[in-house]
Amino acid sequence: MNPAGDTIVAVATPVGRGGIGVVRISGPLAESIAVAVAGSLPTPRYAVYCAFRDADGAAIDVGLALYFPAPHSFTGEDVLELQGHGGPVVMNLLVERVLGLGARPARPGEFSERAFLNDKIDLSQAEAIADLIDSASSEAARNAVRSLEGAFSEAVHDLTEGVIQIRIYVEAAMDFPEEEIDFLGDERVGRELDSLRERFKRVIAGATQGALLREGVNIVFAGRPNAGKSSLMNRVTGRDTSIVTAIPGTTRDIVNEHIHIDGIPVRLVDTAGLRDSTDPIEREGVRRAENEIARADLIVIVVALTGHVDKPIGSGLHEAQDIRRSLPDDSRCLLVLNKADLVSQPFAGLPPGACVVSALTGEGIDHLKDRIKTEIGFQSGQEGTFSARSRHVKALQDAERHLEQGFSRYREDHSGELLAEDLRYCQQSLGEITGVFTSDDLLGRIFSSFCIGK
Amino acid sequence: MNHSHYDVIIVGGGHAGTEAALAAARIGCRTLLLTQNIETLGQMSCNPAIGGIGKSHLVKEIDALGGAMAVAADQAGIHFRTLNSRKGPAVRATRAQADRALYRIAIRQIIEAQDNLHLFQQSVEDLLIENGRVRGVVTGLGLTFHAPAVVLTVGTFLGGLIHVGMARHEGGRAGDAPSNRLAQRLREMPFTVGRLKTGTPPRIDGRTIDFDGLEAQPGDDPAPVMSFLSDGSEHPRQVPCFITHTNERTHDIIRAGLDRSPLYTGEIDGVGPRYCPSIEDKVVRFAERTGHQIFIEPEGLTTREVYPNGISTSLPYDVQTELVHSIGGFEQAHITRPGYAIEYDYFEPRDLKSSLQTRHVDGLYFAGQINGTTGYEEAAAQGLIAGINAARQVRGEAPWCPDRSEAYIGVLIDDLITLGTREPYRMFTSRAEYRLVLRQDNADRRLTARGRDMGLVNEARWAAFSRKAEQIEQLRLEMTTRCIQPGNPEIEACLGQPMAREYTLHELVKRPGVDVGTLLAIGGLDAPDEVREQVEIDAKYAGYIARQQQDIDRIKSQHGTVIPEGTDYGQVRGLSNEVRQKLEEVQPSTVGQASRISGVTPAAVSLLLVHLKKSRASGTLKTA
Repeated sequence: MNPAGDTIVAVATPVGRGGIGVVRISGPLAESIAVAVAGSLPTPRYAVYCAFRDADGAAIDVGLALYFPAPHSFTGEDVLELQGHGGPVVMNLLVERVLGLGARPARPGEFSERAFLNDKIDLSQAEAIADLIDSASSEAARNAVRSLEGAFSEAVHDLTEGVIQIRIYVEAAMDFPEEEIDFLGDERVGRELDSLRERFKRVIAGATQGALLREGVNIVFAGRPNAGKSSLMNRVTGRDTSIVTAIPGTTRDIVNEHIHIDGIPVRLVDTAGLRDSTDPIEREGVRRAENEIARADLIVIVVALTGHVDKPIGSGLHEAQDIRRSLPDDSRCLLVLNKADLVSQPFAGLPPGACVVSALTGEGIDHLKDRIKTEIGFQSGQEGTFSARSRHVKALQDAERHLEQGFSRYREDHSGELLAEDLRYCQQSLGEITGVFTSDDLLGRIFSSFCIGK
Repeated sequence: MNHSHYDVIIVGGGHAGTEAALAAARIGCRTLLLTQNIETLGQMSCNPAIGGIGKSHLVKEIDALGGAMAVAADQAGIHFRTLNSRKGPAVRATRAQADRALYRIAIRQIIEAQDNLHLFQQSVEDLLIENGRVRGVVTGLGLTFHAPAVVLTVGTFLGGLIHVGMARHEGGRAGDAPSNRLAQRLREMPFTVGRLKTGTPPRIDGRTIDFDGLEAQPGDDPAPVMSFLSDGSEHPRQVPCFITHTNERTHDIIRAGLDRSPLYTGEIDGVGPRYCPSIEDKVVRFAERTGHQIFIEPEGLTTREVYPNGISTSLPYDVQTELVHSIGGFEQAHITRPGYAIEYDYFEPRDLKSSLQTRHVDGLYFAGQINGTTGYEEAAAQGLIAGINAARQVRGEAPWCPDRSEAYIGVLIDDLITLGTREPYRMFTSRAEYRLVLRQDNADRRLTARGRDMGLVNEARWAAFSRKAEQIEQLRLEMTTRCIQPGNPEIEACLGQPMAREYTLHELVKRPGVDVGTLLAIGGLDAPDEVREQVEIDAKYAGYIARQQQDIDRIKSQHGTVIPEGTDYGQVRGLSNEVRQKLEEVQPSTVGQASRISGVTPAAVSLLLVHLKKSRASGTLKTA
């Protein structure tokens, strides 16, 4: 299976969990990637301690390299595993290095898929593999949408439109040479190529610096007014960002804090308490809170305990259930019972998995942080917004490479068909972000731009 | 011998029908070609030209597989041009204006010289079908002909409706009768029927055109050829085309007549081609244009009639006359035949397999305009494939259709059966993702050996091809061994800089600005033009071709997995309803074809692969 197949790469360990991160590579290039990154090909199935080097020879990380030649590997193909110390930033550099050596990012569930197709996984697991591909790809789709929000999306669509515009001219000139629209000869194509190259450079620079690291995991605190969300947020961040009062509905707007938990960039979001309100400002706050909840990677549902020993959870449980029901089915939630300081005795009947904390005294906060880590770590294998964005950046870089190659061929000998070829590849790379643009779509754009036909 | 029993029956004597009949007969099947009118075999019912961008690619592929179209075009062409000659070889194309009468004669001669092929003049009124299998056909006289494979190439004859202004009448192309009984019969079968439209310009008596002041467009000298077997000596006398333009007054006349245009009053339901709009369409949609080109194409050497290409119209006759007279050179023009639009039925091509056999009736094949395409070349290409596969089916051989990476024919058929079409489908080079590999100059290197295996290629063609292939290899070898030392003034002049080291001729030919002729002269080598050309293109494109080859290999290995017929997509775990419906509609035969259906995601392809693997292993489905 897959003899001339391509080589895939992904981080195989949960993001940020534990001290070790594993980058897994599967496919025919595994061997050459091993030589390039680890310096030499490790003896099959022996761990070799070495530096992982970037293209200039500088060490990205130091760790263990393991090589499993086909067919005796997890996927049944040549597999290389690089075990580093990395937090997500280092892991990401390592993945980028491997991508630069010709691999492509693995699709969700693709290692398991290959293992199955190569008879490495029992047939009885076919259903499980199908479910994994299904759930992981819808998760990836959601994350891709998040990655594509705002200015980045506009910039990418602008680039795509730029590529289409040039392709319209180049392809029309070749397919309709008798239509008095031969743009290859004039300077227009050259000028538009120049301007597009500039725009590519700007967008890629913006997307790789900062943006990649500024993204990260979104954690939203949600709950009814006066559940103590703001106090809890201040406790977790160790800062005094949110205004805390005893008055329900104090928080009206979205409050952001960026922290790192074990090297994972995390954006904590405090929101207005969810309730029906007649106050237009508070209503707007609730609307914004709902927006944040919609794009959250993890929703921390905060509910207040009561002072009653017999019914410590009281109406809180219903509150939590109501909030949970109002959220999308597939959103990941963590239930936090706040105000533990009001309850003096240990209590029974807690929902499983709930965290009991006191924002006032700090009780249970470390446990909460651990739980948050576990919950975000759980996303491993399935890609988060973070890796979705890096996939998008990779697509942009590929697109730019094709554009540059096409440009130099065009400058060299004005050969339209080679420029066209590179522009097609360029658009194909962008299509991984913006969706497929078929040859018929292109013809449609040509026919609506020019009067063609005898 | 039973005179009503054949191996293969072809219905229709147009460009699809003739290639289909010739192919089946070349393979060795006893073949019957049924046509309404033997006099119109090989008739060009629209513009008198063969080839053009994307289309000459098809013609040369048909030729490489032993077909007739290129040979006939070389015998009938009265004006040849190489299009895109200053662009790269991948997009170069050859076009011939053909003498209609000479073309018909050439096709008729080829058909009459073909062993195993019988002609019979009768309309076909019905199909014999038993238990989902075709058994033969019934003609207008009630005659029955039996065959296990039938190819229908009935063009626009099905449900044809002709419009000239608000007047309309039923009819086939160019005055032929429509096949309404057959259309009715086919409509009763579970095929999805759609409606398309096309049109022609009014024809003009050349004696009434004032050619003084019109721009002449001579053909190339020497004239290029279509067939790999031709050398140009087949060409009859060459004549020029002319170019004129519409003007503002023409456009005013057209605008004033729009209230009687069937196109703009809702009379016409069929969808016309975007790339071949009627003149009224051009004037409405591109109102800012002050003129549109008209190519005045000669209809032949023995007629004065001309084809003014660019003013296809279904406006009323009085408007046609007025608009023609407003055009430079046409002030006194006499119209010999009014322009018209024709609406016709076509069958949803997604109901076909890649062999062009219908999914609903075993042994029944559709080819040509009936499948929603336009153009002689597109029709001929399908006819060839349908004829080959009808013959192969009868002989118990596996169906064959070239892949998208092997031929434009493969692109054409894959597009049709995977994506369907909503307008008359025409080939363009931009439809081919492997454009640099699929060139008109190497169609023989791509296909002739395969054609030879299938019995399509005769001794003469095979010998010529083998000789050429040998010469190419020999020249390439010699060029990789001969070196040129630094300081060679001729080469350095071409390069525009001194050479840093010694280079082989083969390395040098890759460099821009270096001409293969110069190199051969310096190296003391010689080879025929078509041989030099191949070595040069191979070298100059090498990097790009290698990349395309990688793509091709990757896609083949990942997507070559066969999807067994009758796969129940409801059983594929995780597929969305939308994807499942699309797969059920198209019923792709490979995972690769499935992946090209719009809306089928990589995740859906993965799910499909997992399902197929599981089904194969658990033996619930037989492997195809």
